[in-house]
Amino acid sequence: MGRKEISPGRVLIKKNQDMQLKNINPRILLALFVIPLGIIIAAVPENTTKQYKLTAQELLDEVQAGYQYITTDEVAEKLVQKDPSIQLIDVRNSDDYETYHLPGAINIPLSDILSDEYVDILDQGMRLNIFYSNGTVHSNEAWMITRQLGYENNYVLQGGLNYWVETIMSPEKPAITSSNDEFAKYDFRKAAGSAIYGGSVEVTEPAEQSSPLPEVKKKTKKKGVQGGC
Amino acid sequence: MGPLIVNDIISQNTNFLLAFLIGVGFGFVLEASGFSSSRKLAGVFYGYDTVVLKVFFTAAITGMLGLLFMSLFGWIDLNFIYVNPTYVTSTLVGGVIMGAGFIMGGFCPGTSFCAASIGKIDAMVFIGGLFIGVLIFTEGYPFWETMFNANYLGSPKLNEIFGWSQGFLTFIIILVALAMFWVGEWAEKKFPQEEY
Repeated sequence: MGRKEISPGRVLIKKNQDMQLKNINPRILLALFVIPLGIIIAAVPENTTKQYKLTAQELLDEVQAGYQYITTDEVAEKLVQKDPSIQLIDVRNSDDYETYHLPGAINIPLSDILSDEYVDILDQGMRLNIFYSNGTVHSNEAWMITRQLGYENNYVLQGGLNYWVETIMSPEKPAITSSNDEFAKYDFRKAAGSAIYGGSVEVTEPAEQSSPLPEVKKKTKKKGVQGGC
Repeated sequence: MGPLIVNDIISQNTNFLLAFLIGVGFGFVLEASGFSSSRKLAGVFYGYDTVVLKVFFTAAITGMLGLLFMSLFGWIDLNFIYVNPTYVTSTLVGGVIMGAGFIMGGFCPGTSFCAASIGKIDAMVFIGGLFIGVLIFTEGYPFWETMFNANYLGSPKLNEIFGWSQGFLTFIIILVALAMFWVGEWAEKKFPQEEY
């Protein structure tokens, strides 16, 4: 695009300037904007808002919101899919771990959680670490310590092993009056249990009665946005 | 303060509404920029029209600059931004399948819906193929499960791999993008096609 020759005597200077702006190649115009912005962003220190440690209030907020919890159903689903992005961590002592542990779990006893040996496992951005203990007390303790150290990607198995046994290993058949959702959940748990531990799959038929409204669970967990063109 | 949804500033439903509005805007701009023309899209492979390259790289550098400046001003916590996990094998296999489909069909998934919405029959056929592909993938999942999950790398970012700061990487990408635009315009002059 060549610039038009405009006789300065016949047009106002302002109009002349407008014409020149329009005649600039869009690529040059874009470059004029983004290169200075790029230089600025390359020069400023990044993440000025990032905090290494949470304040007590922030930690309290996170604990109350229950951000750290992952349900047994979610874990079962990931185990069935053999999802490589999770790492189950048993925080009980090694005797308990030897007696029984979830498939694929590793053992980091709570007393050893600050050991240098485990830093690479606990402080990383690759896998979701899921702490579990019999209940949730010890796993929550592990989570709070690692969270306060500024580590991310650590979560807690909701309800612990006890709830795992109750929901995945021997789920209770819902009452005949339960909602279809309850039956679907039961079937999923039965199927997940047998996929993980081996066994037969049977599907239950929900009763044809009208059912109470299914529970609404508020979702607060961050979920990824899938993109594409 | 951001992301809005993670910090409970807006509800899940408001989030869906915003996503819907943004989606409508995105579709409109795609259509208005000529992305519903498969010849225009395929042009990037032949060099006569590189608008696809320009649009996506402009979007990338705008997004990078926007996020980093918003983070700088404390408007968004980048730690909460979801980074797509990298599965090397599936990325390569998926990329080849998607690329082959793009050259043959002249659309990528998003633009096929864009073109179908203005009544293009080839786009509707393309969408049919897309669903057949989805069906084959999901029904045959056990067959490719191992391949699908292979070579998992977590969510690495380019700047971490190079050991650069995010800002410096952004600056480099801007320079690379501008260089590619220049090459693109050179290609458009070199392989001109009058009507398409």
